[in-house]
Amino acid sequence: MKKTLAILSLIVLLFLLPLFAGKYILYMTIHIMLLSLFSLGFNLLFGYTGLLSFGQAGFYAAGAYGCAKILLAFPSLLVGIIGGVAVAGVASFLLGILCIRHTRIYFSMLTLSFGMMIFSLAWKWRDMTGGDDGLVGIPRAPLEIPGLIRLNMTSMENYYYVVLVFSLLAIFLFHRIVHSPMGLTFQGIRDSETRTACVGISVRNYRLISFTIAGMYAGLAGALLPPLESTVTPPVAHWSYSAEPVLATLLGGIYTFPGPIVGAFLFYVLKDIIVRFTQYWLICLGAIVLVLVLGFRGGVVSIFYGKGGQG
Amino acid sequence: MNDIIRTEGLGKYFGEMAAVHEVTLSLKEGLFTSIIGPNGAGKTTLINLLSGYLLPDRGRIFFRGTDVTRMRPDKRVKMGISRSFQVMNIFPRLTVFQNILLPVLSRLNKNSRPLASLRSQKEVVAEAEKTLQEVWLQEEKDSPAGELSHGDQRLLELGIAVASNPQLCFLDEPSSGMNPIERIKVLELVKKLSAERKTTFAIVEHDMDVVFSLSDWIVVMNRGEILAEGKPTEIRDNQEVRDIYLGEEI
Repeated sequence: MKKTLAILSLIVLLFLLPLFAGKYILYMTIHIMLLSLFSLGFNLLFGYTGLLSFGQAGFYAAGAYGCAKILLAFPSLLVGIIGGVAVAGVASFLLGILCIRHTRIYFSMLTLSFGMMIFSLAWKWRDMTGGDDGLVGIPRAPLEIPGLIRLNMTSMENYYYVVLVFSLLAIFLFHRIVHSPMGLTFQGIRDSETRTACVGISVRNYRLISFTIAGMYAGLAGALLPPLESTVTPPVAHWSYSAEPVLATLLGGIYTFPGPIVGAFLFYVLKDIIVRFTQYWLICLGAIVLVLVLGFRGGVVSIFYGKGGQG
Repeated sequence: MNDIIRTEGLGKYFGEMAAVHEVTLSLKEGLFTSIIGPNGAGKTTLINLLSGYLLPDRGRIFFRGTDVTRMRPDKRVKMGISRSFQVMNIFPRLTVFQNILLPVLSRLNKNSRPLASLRSQKEVVAEAEKTLQEVWLQEEKDSPAGELSHGDQRLLELGIAVASNPQLCFLDEPSSGMNPIERIKVLELVKKLSAERKTTFAIVEHDMDVVFSLSDWIVVMNRGEILAEGKPTEIRDNQEVRDIYLGEEI
């Protein structure tokens, strides 16, 4: 009951935020939501299925570039976002077929390689991606459902609500997935793939499903970025960008449902505080992650769930 | 009595070493079979081949007349072949109940539902509860499996193996690491499950008192080959088996 109340209060607070918060807080909250979605997808692979991917930024970029290209050609926010997710979903499905044949370090290296191939494409395929200049002048197109609704997105507040609604829906969906029979199957694979196969489950099929869903979550986060920034550049596909959901998940808690969300919040708050004092914020953040990982192996959330507990 | 599983010239080789060599064997439906032999005889490799965990280099495997030689382990489970492992193989981070839920979900083809609530799967939950009772783990239902005692983890592994309601179940040293009293209890439980669930069990076991008292049929392996097979009395009287494995104490 307390948990439900706390969650409801948080949702109400997020809906009321534009009434009293400035543009910077809204901008940062949007980024926290994007990193939350990105990290949730990463954690489905790592925390729930036991596959450590270093290439999720590739799918984030696929979503971002997909959405940006659509918005430049056809200014409809909904089509752009759905299109971006679809591009990331197709990319993760196709690359997943190759990656999920391996596990452990081999899987990680494959995802890293494919992620960097997507980065190279973004960098070199100038006609499609704008090369190192990226895609610029991406419109924050109106949210339109013909005959039903047309919302102008020029104000930050309106776009904040779009991101919030998409994030809440995606988080709710994620909660259903990880608490469903399919979610339990993912966790079985994480704990013992041989045992899972020997209870009649096709490990490869479920790894591929997990990989594709994770890619789509990364794609959704990526697709929500271009309308905010009006630009997409190749660094969003770089492997170092893949480290952000890793850090956020480690901060929040690997095996828990809310871990990545809490971690994304902590990541941005810590970053925001540290960059006020030094440009070497990553060193400080790394030290904090180190202390947290050594002190709370299950992340900050484990304080509430118990060590390594599952949520 | 019908053959439930049959092999023809089965072989598995690791470099020069023949882990299993030219094994032609048939296990009869309904007979409680024990596979015995000295360490390195090829018992676990044979189970790995029959359950699909390893693919053979030579020979064929037939389950109820169907060729399953190249079939993946998950497909064999769907056909009715289940197993436990020599080294403990459970889902340590999941609860005991979730450990049993997974094979039941899989058997009923309900584990692919991404949005269904686990609690709403009433048929699955009822079956998992029944299996938990059968293996005496009802009270540990919500404990993380990795925190159970060794004996309880062995029981849980037995529960996972039978939860998929197999027609044929291989148990690789199901009582290893247990004291003699626990061992007898567990193997009697296996015998009981065999009768109640109409499952054919084939076990690898080193406790010869238990093997000879519970088995209907015994297969003796040595150096990757079948040395002898027969009823317990026949095996006990087999001089070659006594010389190589049993000694004179049986």
